[in-house]
Amino acid sequence: MRVSRSPLRRAIPVAAVALTAMLGLAACSGGDAAVPGADPTASSAASSLDEVYKNAVVAEAADILPDSTMAKIKERGKLIVGEALDAPLLSQQDPSNPDDVEGFDADLAKLLAIYILGEPNVEIIPPASETREALLQNGTVDVVFNTYTITEERAAQVSFAGPYLESGLAVAVKSDNDDIKGIEDLAGKTVIVGANTPAVTAVPEEQPTATLVSFATDPQAMQALKQGRGDAYVQDFTLLASNAASDDSIKVVGQPFTTEAYGIGLKHDDDDFKTFINDWLVKIQEDGTWAKVWDATLGAAVESETPDAPKIGSVPGS
Amino acid sequence: MDIFVDSAGPLLAALGTTVVMAVVAGIGSLIVGTLIAAARISPIPVLRGAAFAYVQFFVNVPLLVLLILAVFALPDAGILMPLAPTTVVVLTLYEAAYVAEAIRSGVNTVGNGQIEASRALGFTLGQTLSLVVLPQSLRAAVQPIGNVMIALTMNTALAAAVGVVELTSAANKLNLVEAQPILIFTAAGLVYMLLALIIGLSAGRIERKVAIVR
Repeated sequence: MRVSRSPLRRAIPVAAVALTAMLGLAACSGGDAAVPGADPTASSAASSLDEVYKNAVVAEAADILPDSTMAKIKERGKLIVGEALDAPLLSQQDPSNPDDVEGFDADLAKLLAIYILGEPNVEIIPPASETREALLQNGTVDVVFNTYTITEERAAQVSFAGPYLESGLAVAVKSDNDDIKGIEDLAGKTVIVGANTPAVTAVPEEQPTATLVSFATDPQAMQALKQGRGDAYVQDFTLLASNAASDDSIKVVGQPFTTEAYGIGLKHDDDDFKTFINDWLVKIQEDGTWAKVWDATLGAAVESETPDAPKIGSVPGS
Repeated sequence: MDIFVDSAGPLLAALGTTVVMAVVAGIGSLIVGTLIAAARISPIPVLRGAAFAYVQFFVNVPLLVLLILAVFALPDAGILMPLAPTTVVVLTLYEAAYVAEAIRSGVNTVGNGQIEASRALGFTLGQTLSLVVLPQSLRAAVQPIGNVMIALTMNTALAAAVGVVELTSAANKLNLVEAQPILIFTAAGLVYMLLALIIGLSAGRIERKVAIVR
């Protein structure tokens, strides 16, 4: 008995070792906060954007000034981007396929990587809204694509290329609420906003008597609205429109009441890099790439014409 | 520094919310925790089991999960409480588990002989617990309970995630306008440190006052 050990008993330690190794590997790949090399072909919206990626504009060698930020990025071989992983339509990670991050911000970040490197080699570092300035200042990320509203206070800390997208805040209510028709009806009401969104400051400016309740994420705010923790939910119009499209129990009322100009955040006073990115924005606007990306992402959620791209440098702080 | 002066009003109100939540949840968790500890050392199997299950549940489920469940799942079950009271209730129940464990560690300092003596004198279970065991356990557990209270104060910051305007949430809001995260969050951190220091030093003083010289 002792001499002939059953094959099963020998197999168990082997299997255990193999399993441990597999778990170890999985832990390594899962534990990495940065999401490496987003592959555009993996994206489901890619079918419509394949062409865009294939024909994406690449910077001429002369544009990559020696010793500039873009030269450093090119040498490193990847663009490090601060962008969200949980923003529907803008930058949303597919939970079952972590390499697949799609949305307007995510696609533009990949196109910028192509412009500098010739390939969509992007490393994503998800910023919290409260850490974007610090991440740029200490050089953790090269650029921030994060619905980063251009303000003069922020422009004193970081630089903004763009604006590359304009949107506005709108009001959503429960479908059975006919009393609130827009921001003008929110005086004295309880208003739900996303923490760290422009709504936190914009709503008190319009309606000083409204009480604000802020929630960390859009799904939480939606849930709170439906459960009656507030009378209305103020958020970016595009995001609300896509929420309302997928959920009958809420509706968007009135027109957007602010204009938010979103910029690409850069390290402060890096004028060469800012000019370089602004040139790229003009190029993708002129060749129609910008409009195609908008149609494939944000345009999929709202029934409206493709808007005109915002004019570069058109807001204070950009 | 101007940015703190300009928004001193909302910041102080938010600090007040943090302190009130910490104090109310602190007192609540001391009461609930003592009851749980008493149940855990009682000779009644059902009570012991229930207290064991309570402690295991709250020690093993992250506080943020509990908060989000209480804020977003309870309304679906028909219980819609305002945000701050919900948070205080969850904090109380959560920290009570840790308080109970701290007290239980103090129970070991009470000699078996004392319990046997109280029984010989005809004390009931309730009398033994409330007159002999718990007073001594609490005295021995002052420092660990102080640590639980410090953790509780830090944990109030999680309330920002569910919409309560306390110190962290106010710092977030200020930063949204001023865009100076390092300055603002360092300042907020120093305030939390100060709160922790106050609790820690108080615990030290109380311990010296109530210590039993053996």
